Amino acid sequence: MPFFPPSMKNELLHGTLEVMILKTLTWGRMHGYGVGRWIEQLGGEALRIEEGSLYPALYRLEKKGWIDAEWGLSEKNRRAKYYRLTAAGRRALRDNASIWGEFALAVSRVLKATDAPSMP
Amino acid sequence: MPASRPEPRWRRYLRFWRADVQADVDDEVAFHIGERIDDLVAAGMDPEHAREEALTRFGDMERVKSTCSTIAQEQESQMRRSEKLSVLRQDVVYALRVMRRSAGFTIAVVFTLALGIGATTAIFSVVNAVLLRPLPYADPDRMVMVFELLNGGRGRASPGHFHDWSELSNVFEATAAFSGRTYTLADGEPMRVYGARVTPGFFKTGYMPPELGRYFAPGEEESRVVVLTYGLWRTRFAGDQAIVGKPITLNGEKYTVIGVTPAAYSLTPQDERLWTPLSFTPQQRSTYGAHTFQVFGKLKPGVSIAQAQRELDRVGEGIRRRYPDEMKGRGVSVVSFSDVLVGDYRTQLWVLLGAVSFVLLIGCSNIASLMLARATARRKEIAIRGALGGSRKRLVSQLLTESLILAVAGGTAGVLLARFGVRFLVSAAPTFVPRLAEAALDPMVLSFATAATLVCGLLFGLAPALRATRVDLQSELREGGRGSSSMARDRTRAALIITEFAVALVLLVSAGLFLRSADRLQRVPLGFDPSNVTMLRVALPADRYGDTTAVQGAFSRIVDEIRSIPGVERAGASTRLPMWGISIDMGLSVEGRPANRSSRDVGHVRLATSGFLETIGVPLRRGRLLSDADLRAEAPWVVVVNETLARNLFGNENPIGHRISGWTKAEAPEWREIVGVIGDTRSFGRDAEIPPEIYIPMTQRPNGAWDAFQRSMAIVAKTKPGMTLGASARAAVARVDRQLALYDVQPMSEVVVQANATRRFNTILLSLLGVTGLVLAAIGIYGVIAFFVTQRTHEIGVRVALGASRASVVKLVVRQAATLALAGIALGAVGALWVTRVLGSMLFQVSVRDPAAFTAAGLLLLVVAIGAAWFPARRATRVDPVRALSAVG
Repeated sequence: MPFFPPSMKNELLHGTLEVMILKTLTWGRMHGYGVGRWIEQLGGEALRIEEGSLYPALYRLEKKGWIDAEWGLSEKNRRAKYYRLTAAGRRALRDNASIWGEFALAVSRVLKATDAPSMP
Repeated sequence: MPASRPEPRWRRYLRFWRADVQADVDDEVAFHIGERIDDLVAAGMDPEHAREEALTRFGDMERVKSTCSTIAQEQESQMRRSEKLSVLRQDVVYALRVMRRSAGFTIAVVFTLALGIGATTAIFSVVNAVLLRPLPYADPDRMVMVFELLNGGRGRASPGHFHDWSELSNVFEATAAFSGRTYTLADGEPMRVYGARVTPGFFKTGYMPPELGRYFAPGEEESRVVVLTYGLWRTRFAGDQAIVGKPITLNGEKYTVIGVTPAAYSLTPQDERLWTPLSFTPQQRSTYGAHTFQVFGKLKPGVSIAQAQRELDRVGEGIRRRYPDEMKGRGVSVVSFSDVLVGDYRTQLWVLLGAVSFVLLIGCSNIASLMLARATARRKEIAIRGALGGSRKRLVSQLLTESLILAVAGGTAGVLLARFGVRFLVSAAPTFVPRLAEAALDPMVLSFATAATLVCGLLFGLAPALRATRVDLQSELREGGRGSSSMARDRTRAALIITEFAVALVLLVSAGLFLRSADRLQRVPLGFDPSNVTMLRVALPADRYGDTTAVQGAFSRIVDEIRSIPGVERAGASTRLPMWGISIDMGLSVEGRPANRSSRDVGHVRLATSGFLETIGVPLRRGRLLSDADLRAEAPWVVVVNETLARNLFGNENPIGHRISGWTKAEAPEWREIVGVIGDTRSFGRDAEIPPEIYIPMTQRPNGAWDAFQRSMAIVAKTKPGMTLGASARAAVARVDRQLALYDVQPMSEVVVQANATRRFNTILLSLLGVTGLVLAAIGIYGVIAFFVTQRTHEIGVRVALGASRASVVKLVVRQAATLALAGIALGAVGALWVTRVLGSMLFQVSVRDPAAFTAAGLLLLVVAIGAAWFPARRATRVDPVRALSAVG
């Protein structure tokens, strides 16, 4: 089961998914299916998403100019759309990754806390 | 990391052709599903289940696809927009570079346009302020004025008419009678202000929420209350917020201020500045013979002017049955208030706007021929760009961008100039033009300027751009860009020149007509001599000068005091001066004749002192002028009449010794003997008919005359040349009564000029525009001929080398220019005949087809054309034939 309650999941997922896509594309150009597989392999069950939801995120990133797309042929000689990180995308990843990291840390700090904070 | 090979090249061209967003999304999703199936099968699932599993894992495919297409489409159109922008930016950058390279050309174009657009915008701002903006009152469309017609002319109404129109018709929401008068404001330095008595409905006929307080209420007719204008409130009462309820002294009586109108309420500086209530006694309400009131009305919603006219005609018939005598030759006319207000200015302003647009048009065609000349010079560049694959559309848009940038630069400079132009127009134009002072560069005017700018840009840019890009690349490159077309064959240029001359002719003919008209007007003898005569005006307050002997005594003493000023040669006073002041007319009867009461038996009455007619230099024709003896209390009653009146009443008979009287219904005639006949004066202006006039010694005034003239007289003094009569006259009047307000001190010559202000303004402006048009047309033809000659240096060189005389070459060129000019003049003459028809009402004793104006304008243009062609032609023949022949390209 996913880790976020459904309502929260959607909102957080948008941003999270985009950051993860950008991250995966730092390893090189890749088509949508490949991006999904990478995220699945790294994130495991916890980050399991509907595979289709990857594509709107890819298109949004392309529109923002953070990634570029180009048609090419896959290793099995199929026509596939390959995505590539742009310079702007690289910058965006740097900014968002750190924000995401701080956010994740903060959340886990709260969740792991054992005592209530003292009132001022 | 999976390796990938690039897509075959041809597929790219599919995308190049048209990005098919939908198909791309489908392909991408299909690829995903295919890969997933493959992976699942490889993991040991059977293909059937693998497909199902892949689809499940993918989720809502349709939603994903539609979301993706939407995003992709947005991106696509964003890209197309930015692509267009970048093309535009390229064009602009290129255009700017070209403009910087040819700075002289750019400056010439921008300057011409700035003048043209500036002048046009300035005049449009006046048109907008005076004609186009709705009046500031509530429901201005329903505001009307009602006139009594006398022999077809609009006149004032009697209290009886006003009462019947208001009470016996059902077309009005409100009506008001209005009677202008001047008031002396006491409380501090005495001041004369023009105001009016109005019935309480006045502020309902033209309503705006009051700035302070309230307006007159029904039933307040008898109260001593006053409404002030914003201007008077600000200047005289320093904008006192607590003014409402305070007392002020008007003509010696206490009035309570009840309200202040907003600033926009007054439309001209000549408008009244305060209002007091007007009431009619029952006896007045049944008076149909004294026509002294202006009548305002506001129609009920949905009532048309024609309906109101029919209704009042019906009411008028009722009056006619009861009072057939008073209604002789009379009728009624309902006119929309804005028409009354704007009146003749409508035609005049549209004519000015038309004329200034003509100047702009000439300017544009000048620029067009400049652009054309430059485009021709740039033929090689354009041909090369064409050969390199620049599409015609792209080249045209490039050239149009250039002309639009020029237009925008010119337009911007023009708007800046227009600010000064508006200021000039407002200060130079006659101040009685309603709302003229409000002319400004408001959004409406700026939109006009923008539209004018864009139209200009297209006008002078499109034809040259289309023509320049329609070049035969091969021949152009081969010929090395040497133009070889002759002037006659160059239709675009010929058309431009012909248009310029046609338009310039229309302008010049109009200006000529106005100048001829001004000249005719100037030749009309005034009938009096304003030189070295100064006028000043004094009005006596009713509280201290209620008695007529006191009034007459005061004016006698004032005239005596003025006469005693050193340097004053003569002085006198009258209730009216030629071209200045209120005129009151009355019906006349001649002793021993039955009264026939025709419109010819009318005299305009002026009360005067002795010495008045001598001071303004009116010549005596028969008998004598008024003397000091006539002013004595026991003197027999006499009058002096002008020639028009003598002719109207007595034909060729000698009028001296006849006795006449103003006819009054109730009272016995007061016979006055005619003792003198004086020359006619242009009393209502040079362009108006001469009224029949009667001068009565002021001591022998008819009953109630001092009230009618508001106890006011104009004093005139003939002084030594160059003398001004301000302070000394003020001191002289103060010696009689230091509380008297002295106003309108000005030379008589100024009065004469002012009487003619509108015509002068029109004439000056149109002449200015005519001359500008002429100069522009001259520059235009000079430029074109000079360009032709330069282009044909080669040909001219050949001709000269082959033995043609220089004179014959000059003749050839000049003849070609003259042919074009003549064609333009002929076309313009036809246009002028058609256009100048609208000028008819603005001209004085000059036909709109005045042959002199047409001939002069045509000749002037022809001479200018020949001159403009001659100089470049002569210069060309000076060229060394050898150089001309060897110069290629």
